[in-house]
Amino acid sequence: MSAFLIANIAPIMFLGLIVFLLLGFPVSFALAALGLSFGLLGIQLGLLNEALFQALPERIFGIMSNDTLLAVPFFTFMGLILERSGMAEDLLDTIGQLFGPIRGGLAYAVVFVGALLAATTGVVAASVISMGLISLPIMLRYGYDRRLATGVIAASGTLAQIIPPSLVLIVLADQLGRSVGDMYAGAILPGLVLTGFYAIYVLGKTIVHPDAAPALPPEARPLRGWKLAGRVVFVLIPPLALIFLVLGTIFLGVATPTEGGAMGATGALVLALINRRLTWSLLRQAMNSTAKLTTFVVFILVGATVFSLTFRGVNGDLWIEHLLTSLPGGKIGFLIVVNLLTFFLAFFLDFFELAFIIVPLLAPVADKLGIDLIWFGVLLGVNMQTSFMHPPFGYALFYLRSVAPSREYVDKILRRPVQGITTGQIYWGAVPFVVIQVIMVAIVIGFPGLVTGNLEKANFDPSKVKIELPQEAPAEQIEESAPPDFSAPKK
Amino acid sequence: MNGLLALSRAIDFANERIGRLVYWCVLVMVLVSAGNATSRYALNMASNAWLELQWYLFAGVFLLCSGYTLLHNEHIRIDVVSSQLSRRAQVWIDVFGIVFFLLPMSLFIMWLSWPVFMNAWTSGEISGSAGGLIRWPARLLVPAGFFLLSAQGFSELIKRIAYLRGLIPDPVERHKDPGLDVVLEVEREGRK
Repeated sequence: MSAFLIANIAPIMFLGLIVFLLLGFPVSFALAALGLSFGLLGIQLGLLNEALFQALPERIFGIMSNDTLLAVPFFTFMGLILERSGMAEDLLDTIGQLFGPIRGGLAYAVVFVGALLAATTGVVAASVISMGLISLPIMLRYGYDRRLATGVIAASGTLAQIIPPSLVLIVLADQLGRSVGDMYAGAILPGLVLTGFYAIYVLGKTIVHPDAAPALPPEARPLRGWKLAGRVVFVLIPPLALIFLVLGTIFLGVATPTEGGAMGATGALVLALINRRLTWSLLRQAMNSTAKLTTFVVFILVGATVFSLTFRGVNGDLWIEHLLTSLPGGKIGFLIVVNLLTFFLAFFLDFFELAFIIVPLLAPVADKLGIDLIWFGVLLGVNMQTSFMHPPFGYALFYLRSVAPSREYVDKILRRPVQGITTGQIYWGAVPFVVIQVIMVAIVIGFPGLVTGNLEKANFDPSKVKIELPQEAPAEQIEESAPPDFSAPKK
Repeated sequence: MNGLLALSRAIDFANERIGRLVYWCVLVMVLVSAGNATSRYALNMASNAWLELQWYLFAGVFLLCSGYTLLHNEHIRIDVVSSQLSRRAQVWIDVFGIVFFLLPMSLFIMWLSWPVFMNAWTSGEISGSAGGLIRWPARLLVPAGFFLLSAQGFSELIKRIAYLRGLIPDPVERHKDPGLDVVLEVEREGRK
């Protein structure tokens, strides 16, 4: 019995992981408990050193002082505040009127605004909910195909995952041991191409089925001519200013992503203040949600750290590495298997779990096979984006369901009943976009230049920051605050 | 059981208060970090103490809010399978999880991290960077956070068992936050 255990403890542990996660108890605690119990078992069997867990407090301390993860609450807070300051609403309203006269105009507006919101906030929930609340009723009013309407909203909302300053990219950069700035630079072009694909899909749909997305009638477009042009410029200023403040400073190498996040969050507060929408209740809600999101995200990382401490102790990483390197087809075989694996796991896990549990196991293998880790990260990022759109468990679909009318209602303007949206329509609406996502994964594999081509130009150079600093801040501290050096311990 | 339920209410109350107090650290953290970035580039000044304060606050948020997040049932679950089960079965899974996963894990980490704090306290450990902060408050956050988490786990266990025995209504429903989304929707409706 114990001989069998000793020989197979890593696979057994991995199997245990799947069973325990599917049980439905909070992931972070299940992971940590699994790590601890197998650790104690390993010590009993003589596989592990008794001092194994003495390293644990230091690991947790490493997570606490991780400068990269600090960006997670900043961008979350920024997204929540921006959402509430009405920026999304103004954008959708105005851009919708701009594109209104053409067929599929509202759908293009959603794609475009989705990308803009993505570049300012990086929070899927906020994008999907506001676009669902604002544009879905208008699309239904003017006879949009329901699947197209819901699909385009859910998919455009998930752009926040791949267009910087996305939380996924921060977490991936941390887990891959690369700088967030590089990750951002690598993801920007694929993110834009993806946005283009969504728009092309809408175009194709309007050509094949002109009724699916009719143009808006003139009475639905009160703004015209110069008035509209002025309004467009006006609503575009706040998001563009924030994009510059956050992404511009990061790409220019002036700010670290953490600092960019803090500046962006402050900028969002200022914007809300100017719009007179900053209330105590809004502020408290945003802090409350940010605190809870940060807690559950970091706790998954704590759980995953405990798990991997034991898993590596029993050479589980070598087992995984052996499995993956012995695949036929070398690099390509590895990439295909990893992408299939991620795609299917994305049905059950969301990206935090994927990033903290699966990515640390894959990264060393990818590195050994000579795969560029930034490219690998972006590839996984595009793939994981599907985890938000997969019926039936995609989060974007949940968010959309929560704001889409489920029963028949009377439209205020047309004064006639409009049918509600069924869950099936939301699910089928997402399918074409999941397919687009898969195509995009293939394109990123086929044309790595999309990702790596940007890296030289926009390299964030930590050494530059060091020089600008005065004597009173000694070098080792500054190094700590540069993104790559402070990532969570991984060995 | 009544005494235990009273204890559970006390724990819930304490963690709710602590959570609501600690989430202000999010705002402080944003302002401190933005201030650091500004002073670094505009005034060409940087202070290690202020830089370290950023992550002290960050650590404070996620450790001290762990019990609060558990109270509001927002630690992420994979409910693909469990959502198909009856409510009672889900509660049984929670009881099992709290007894075999959460409590042993958090008590064990608390026990591991306490000596580390004591060591920092007695030795007066200070950050390795010049002008850095004293370390014991950060070291204390770990056992304190896991203590709050254990306490909340215990409270959740009491409530789950009381629910299974038919003494109280579903505890999860009561602490469900209206959440930002709902508030948002209500506000929009109001504005129209």
